[in-house]
Amino acid sequence: MATAKRIEIREMDKHYGAFHAVKSLSLTVEPGEFLVLLGPSGCGKSTALRMIAGLEEITGGQVLLGDRDVTHVLPKYRDIAMVFQSYALYPHKTVAENIGFPLKIAGKTKAEQDAAVADAAAQVQLGELLGRYPRELSGGQRQRVALARAIIRRPAAFLMDEPLSNLDAKLRGFMRAELKRMQKDLGVTTIYVTHDQIEAMTLAHRVAIMRDGVLQQLGTPKEVYRDPANMFVAGFMGSPPMNFVAGNATGAGVKVGDRALSLEGVRVREGTHVSVGFRPEDAELAAPDDTADLVAEVFIAEMTGDETLVTLTAPDGGHIIVRAPPDIEIEDGARVGLRIDPAKRYYFETDSGKRLRADD
Amino acid sequence: MSLFTPRRVGHMSPGGSAITYLLLIVWAAFVIFPIYWLVITSFKSVNDVNSGPVFLPFIDFQPSLHAWRDLLIEDWADTSRSYINSIIIALASTALSVLIGSMAAYALARVTYAPRLSTVLAFVLCMAAVLVATMAYGVDWRLAGAVAVALFVLMVRGLGNRIAGRLGNGDILFWMISQRILAPVVVVVPIYMMFQSVGLLDTHIAIILTYAVINLPIVVWLMYDFFASIPRDLEESAQLDGATMFTVFREVVLPLSKPGLAATTLLVMILAWNEYLLALFLSTADAQTMPILVAAMNAGERGILWWTMSAVIVVMILPVLALAVVLQRFISKGILVGAVKG
Amino acid sequence: MAADLSPSPTGAAQASASLPARSRGERLNEWLDRNARHIFLWPAVVLILVFSIFPLVASLVIAFSRIRLSGGGFQVRFVGWRNFDKQLFGSEQFHFLGTFGPLSLMGWVFGLAVTAGVIWWIAAYLRAGPTFIGTLGRLFPWGLVLGLGWLLSYTALSGRPFGTLLTTYFYVLVGCAIQFVIGMGLAYLCSRAIRGRNFFRVLFFLPLMITPIGIGYTFRMLADTSKGPFSPLWQAAGLGDFSWATDPWAARMFIIIADSWQWIPFVFIMLLAAFENVPRDYSEAASMDGASEWQIFREITWPQIMPVAATVMLIRVIEAFKIVDLPNIMTSGGPGIATESMSLHALFAWRSLDLGQSSAVAYLLLFVTVVTCVSFFNLVVLRRVRS
Ligand SMILES: Nc1ncnc2c1ncn2[C@@H]1O[C@H](COP(=O)(O)OP(=O)(O)OP(=O)(O)O)[C@@H](O)[C@H]1O
Ligand SMILES: [Mg+2]
Repeated sequence: MATAKRIEIREMDKHYGAFHAVKSLSLTVEPGEFLVLLGPSGCGKSTALRMIAGLEEITGGQVLLGDRDVTHVLPKYRDIAMVFQSYALYPHKTVAENIGFPLKIAGKTKAEQDAAVADAAAQVQLGELLGRYPRELSGGQRQRVALARAIIRRPAAFLMDEPLSNLDAKLRGFMRAELKRMQKDLGVTTIYVTHDQIEAMTLAHRVAIMRDGVLQQLGTPKEVYRDPANMFVAGFMGSPPMNFVAGNATGAGVKVGDRALSLEGVRVREGTHVSVGFRPEDAELAAPDDTADLVAEVFIAEMTGDETLVTLTAPDGGHIIVRAPPDIEIEDGARVGLRIDPAKRYYFETDSGKRLRADD
Repeated sequence: MSLFTPRRVGHMSPGGSAITYLLLIVWAAFVIFPIYWLVITSFKSVNDVNSGPVFLPFIDFQPSLHAWRDLLIEDWADTSRSYINSIIIALASTALSVLIGSMAAYALARVTYAPRLSTVLAFVLCMAAVLVATMAYGVDWRLAGAVAVALFVLMVRGLGNRIAGRLGNGDILFWMISQRILAPVVVVVPIYMMFQSVGLLDTHIAIILTYAVINLPIVVWLMYDFFASIPRDLEESAQLDGATMFTVFREVVLPLSKPGLAATTLLVMILAWNEYLLALFLSTADAQTMPILVAAMNAGERGILWWTMSAVIVVMILPVLALAVVLQRFISKGILVGAVKG
Repeated sequence: MAADLSPSPTGAAQASASLPARSRGERLNEWLDRNARHIFLWPAVVLILVFSIFPLVASLVIAFSRIRLSGGGFQVRFVGWRNFDKQLFGSEQFHFLGTFGPLSLMGWVFGLAVTAGVIWWIAAYLRAGPTFIGTLGRLFPWGLVLGLGWLLSYTALSGRPFGTLLTTYFYVLVGCAIQFVIGMGLAYLCSRAIRGRNFFRVLFFLPLMITPIGIGYTFRMLADTSKGPFSPLWQAAGLGDFSWATDPWAARMFIIIADSWQWIPFVFIMLLAAFENVPRDYSEAASMDGASEWQIFREITWPQIMPVAATVMLIRVIEAFKIVDLPNIMTSGGPGIATESMSLHALFAWRSLDLGQSSAVAYLLLFVTVVTCVSFFNLVVLRRVRS
């Protein structure tokens, strides 16, 4: 078994003609780490992953695998396995042949192949399906075949490009757990691309969040959730995501509509456009009196079972979502007050999205 | 059909369906009759052919095997030689053009090529110069060739900086496919001279090579679309697993292209099997193919031997017929249409 | 962008660094691997260069020369445009272009009508916003249509025989039109929900696989008015002594019938697939709306198969220009030169060892083929695909 290797990316760039798809991306994935590349559609995650695999030409920068510079090394010499969103199973080969294909290429004997295939298939619980063709499998089973094919070679690293996005919600949750378990057991360095922040939160040791080809923040799921580097990250993580209300800085507070929210020690020049962010669970509904931090109008209330999500129309016209107890009685169009936990407020420069911190 | 049962879509009224069948049957008769006539003629005696038409075996006339006896026993040496020649040539040239053509088509579908315009121009100029010098002015071809190579290198160096343009995969593809526009008569005389000068006239190799090139554009054209429609993921995945371009081609691409390969092979093989004009130029005796044998039935002093000729044609049709029946599901699936979807 | 499958130099270096001891076979493999992009493409390129481009250029040289074959070798003398001159204006003019007569009334009418048509075409194009390249490219079809139109006026329409150029166009235009109409009709009939579709499909495909030589001789047998299967009919009609081979138009039609018998299957099989690829939903929806079968065909099916039909006909036209086997076998170009196609003309010139004339005719054929097909492609296929 190849020992897990470190993957290091130094200022990696990708240009498609005039279009700059990945901009100076640098990150290091430690041996055995599970790193998730997260970002909205079209932000360059797949491109970055494919450059690491060697499937896409690198326009600038370096990729290191272990201590070896593989920037210009062909994919097949990189000792990397990849799971594609489409699974890329060979339709003309049986499950066993699909799984065994990397070993066949490597020139292993038939006996070695068979043993390894049985092993890998057992690991993903595919044992009885080895004689079937991919078209005779369900989505989840195909997924497992793709995984088995990736692990059979014991590569130095796994790359996965949205491997779960073709599955239905329930199966996705189940496969997520399996995947995490498997990665832990094998201890292989893994880079996993997704646009689903729940997947990122549950799977990752660390999450790298990208936007328009630029790395926004790199940290553990807890860090990026608790301490987002900017407004984009804050708004991307969490479900429902963080709420923002826009206002103007006035000395010690932020004026939002007819109220002023305290700045909690954040110093900012007067007149700056500032957005105050808070998570749905960090605010509570109250009477629309003077003690409320904000006053808003109920847009709609949705009962989800263990809670009610109340959507409000904020003074600045945007929507705010607040978690409320499931048994709350509230009418659409009612005016309500909102109390926001002062310790759990985030401040951002509205125009640049920059995070404003108390100690700055 | 009552007024209130809605007419099922795609189903015709009885009148419409009767007309449809009538038309199809008329056409079927038009297709079958010449073949039928051919087959019965091969079983007719000389008299039956020469004394006006007879139509039905055992009723109109007594079938006779004399033509078949001539063909398969008396002229066995000639027939079998032509037959074997035709088989060798059709198989070999088909294999060659399908192999080379699909490799080129695959490369064009997946690898980016960007030949310099200046190199292409220089090449064309040098080739034209060599030909004019050797043919019109009698310069020794070795000398002309050497000078041309030197000239070519100089021109590539010199022009390369001046003409910046590059060609792309599309241009190469178009260039290859457009070769099909050449009628054989345009190129056959130089090809004849070329093979004559290297002493390969009337050999299998000459005909095989020529047929392979004539059919190459068809292969490239049909297979290019087929390869381009294969999801790239499959090949990339194999690449990551350590496969070379050859392995990817053999293990992933070709197996997935079986239907396209079958249709292309069938088409190319039929064309090679039936080709007449080029064979007429390139073979005289030893490499004579079946179409030439057919035409030779016209050469005797007894006039055309219709009976034997019919038998030869029937013998020629049988293998392609067998091939078509075997591969008919590929024909009927309309695989070929992928290439012309526009 | 395409992931380049070819190994980069650094890649190979890296790879070899990790493989210390290598056998000869491994080194060969690595070399093959590194040069895969060339190994895949070059065989095809070389074959085409040697057997297609080189002969093409050589043929051009021959077309401007007089070649004398002498004892195994040959002597070439450069004669400039003389070969072409002979075909177009000299002693072979009757053969290639036809015999010119004084313009008949019909000739005048037709020639002027064609001229008016071309002028209208030019005007329509100029009004639509011409480009330099577009105008330049259109000069060819404009000139070709005008030239062929007046050529027809001066020869056939003025009661004189025409040459191989117009005969070839006759085969191409009339033959392809017949094949298109019948092929499409059959494909349409076969695409409907009928029993025995597969049987008809395979049966109708058959003639395409039969060697043109065989078809030529078979049709000669069928057309024999004294011993052929239809001779009782001919006799009854009082045409017992009539021979197809002695009447120019009958001979030409005879060849077109045989050619169509062979090639309708091609149009049929391609268009059948095109018809079957048209999603059922559209026509079903339309028939729900009460459209008649003809309306469905015109409004829904036809626009969808149009691009395929245009491409199929382009292929057919390209192949039709090459016609040589059938006239050679069925009539040997006769009576006179009435059924001689340009390919056959070149072949006969070669037989009489006049290689220069042969190549000149072949080049003229190439020229009209390219102009016709490129025009067809640009004006019909591309336009239909774009719209
Ligand atoms: N071959 C190409 N040529 C030009 N632009 C490209 C090419 N491939 C991708 N792009 C562009 O690069 C950007 C990043 O693409 P990429 O596939 O990496 O996005 P992604 O983050 O994986 O999105 P998704 O979540 O939708 O898969 C996109 O804007 C895309 O349009
Ligand atoms: Mg992606």
